[in-house]
Amino acid sequence: MAKTQYYVPVGPIHPALKEPIRVEAMVEGERIVEVDVKRGFAHRGIEYMGMKRNAIQTLYLSERICGICSISHPYAFVIGTEKALGIEAPPRAQYIRTIIGELERIHSHILWLGVVAHEMGFDSLLFWTWKGREKLLDILELITGNRINYSVFMIGGVRRDIKESHVKALRDMINYYRIFTEEMKDVFLSDPVYKARTRGVAQLSKKMALELNVVGPVARAAGIRMDVRQDMPYDAYADIGVRAIVPQDIVGEARGDAYDITMVRLYEIDQSLDIIEYCLDEMPEGKLMAIPNYVALLAKIRRTEGEAIGAHEAPRGEVIHYFRYGNKRDGPLFWKVIAPSYNNINTWKPLLLGAEVADIPIVVAYIDPCMCCNDRLAVVRNEEGRIIDPEALHRKAVEKTERLKRDLGVRE
Amino acid sequence: MTMTAQEVLERLQEVLGEAILSHEIREYTMGVKRKRTYGEVWLTIRPEALRKAVEAVFGIDYPHLHFITGNDEGGEVITVVYSFGLFYANPWGEVSVVIKFDLPKSNLVLPTITDLMIGAETNEREIREMLGIEFEGLKNKRHLFLPDDWPEGKYPWRRDEYGVEDMVKHTHRSVNEIRKERGEQ
Repeated sequence: MAKTQYYVPVGPIHPALKEPIRVEAMVEGERIVEVDVKRGFAHRGIEYMGMKRNAIQTLYLSERICGICSISHPYAFVIGTEKALGIEAPPRAQYIRTIIGELERIHSHILWLGVVAHEMGFDSLLFWTWKGREKLLDILELITGNRINYSVFMIGGVRRDIKESHVKALRDMINYYRIFTEEMKDVFLSDPVYKARTRGVAQLSKKMALELNVVGPVARAAGIRMDVRQDMPYDAYADIGVRAIVPQDIVGEARGDAYDITMVRLYEIDQSLDIIEYCLDEMPEGKLMAIPNYVALLAKIRRTEGEAIGAHEAPRGEVIHYFRYGNKRDGPLFWKVIAPSYNNINTWKPLLLGAEVADIPIVVAYIDPCMCCNDRLAVVRNEEGRIIDPEALHRKAVEKTERLKRDLGVRE
Repeated sequence: MTMTAQEVLERLQEVLGEAILSHEIREYTMGVKRKRTYGEVWLTIRPEALRKAVEAVFGIDYPHLHFITGNDEGGEVITVVYSFGLFYANPWGEVSVVIKFDLPKSNLVLPTITDLMIGAETNEREIREMLGIEFEGLKNKRHLFLPDDWPEGKYPWRRDEYGVEDMVKHTHRSVNEIRKERGEQ
């Protein structure tokens, strides 16, 4: 009797997916025989919007591309714009940028560990990892004033300083995460159930990874020592001499499966803590912005002719921004953004063929997909059930930051 | 075995010869206490030499494709940009090779590079649907970001009569208004 093929669509709206994407699979029993990925459900044309605004507005627009990697896009943007303008950020600003970039890497990796555990059905791990992540978000809120969109970068510098009172809180955080990361390694890497569920799943060979053009931890887990912080360094990474972490260094061989990716990400948390510690020890003194006057900055951009490529190693892989300035415009004439998942989603099709239906969530989750996150809408109600206006919301946010400072023992 | 940006440029000049219209090496100094420089190679070539140029880049080393993009400013040409990263996985060693050319709108056809690197398919499908550039040899020609029922002959990134300006004008009107005008109710 011939087997019947069934059509199993997953998405765009599905409990297992945080973001709208559609995986259309044809299954024969439990095996997937045909697969097709559709994206573009959250395409908002941000690049086109950026071409109609000035560079500073576009910088904060680029922060809204994604909610989790909300520092990666501005980082690539400022690196590229500084290349095009030929200006250099002050040393202190470069170190602060590096610290914030690494803080975000840690919180993104811990978030991913929780998500991948949740996709497997390990919900207690999800709650435990995300509870541990809160401390980091508190630190980010202490430094920048926001939990998600920090709005702390500026072309040629940063807008917020890391004060002497913040340093103690940062050092406490580093000690906390040293212990927490060891616990996480213990839970994830030596747990027999987790190992059984991820060993050999979503396995990507080195040759396939090169041909599919993957980036970030997915490429590193396949054994490719590829890291923008190492290949084209910038800011404080150039002083440190970051080395990409590959499984060969840890266990001697790279298999490129979901387990190896977990390992790479866990060890990258340690690396990030080292980088933050180095930056705190070696923090230079000085001002925060190369051109503090925004009007002068926009005037300089108007006089600029030329193009540049800015790259930053985001938690998920390399983010690349290409711009062209000129025509006496104070914003980019042309702007193109390549996010890491743009390339990493290519891996789903070859990996899902021949896999089982139960592996779809793991294969989908293991690359940490980020479908150019949706625009979010938060309606906050106060105790009486009325919607709060922006001023009241801002006041509440300030009150919360003040409360945080009291909780963390920071006095200014 | 890595090469500097200058050596990469010389190798490409040997292969391409007259097809290179202009070339430039841009060096950027990075770092605070230990400053070092890395180079990028920027080439402007003739559009018909694209396949040869890409094969020359692949001949040096297996590259990593940064992006393919195109820009229409409303004139007679579309500026297409290919960017490759060579010698990644080497500290300070990555050399970006950026290949630019002006493609005339009368002949919007390019050779595909998916036979050399299947990962470029995403980029090519996006350029195809957003700018209307046809890729010879591209197997998968479905829409990537745009919906499947997107009207034929409309390209969101174009700034001429094939663009979406007239579609944008209608976005503030309700569907009912448009139907009334057409007399569909």
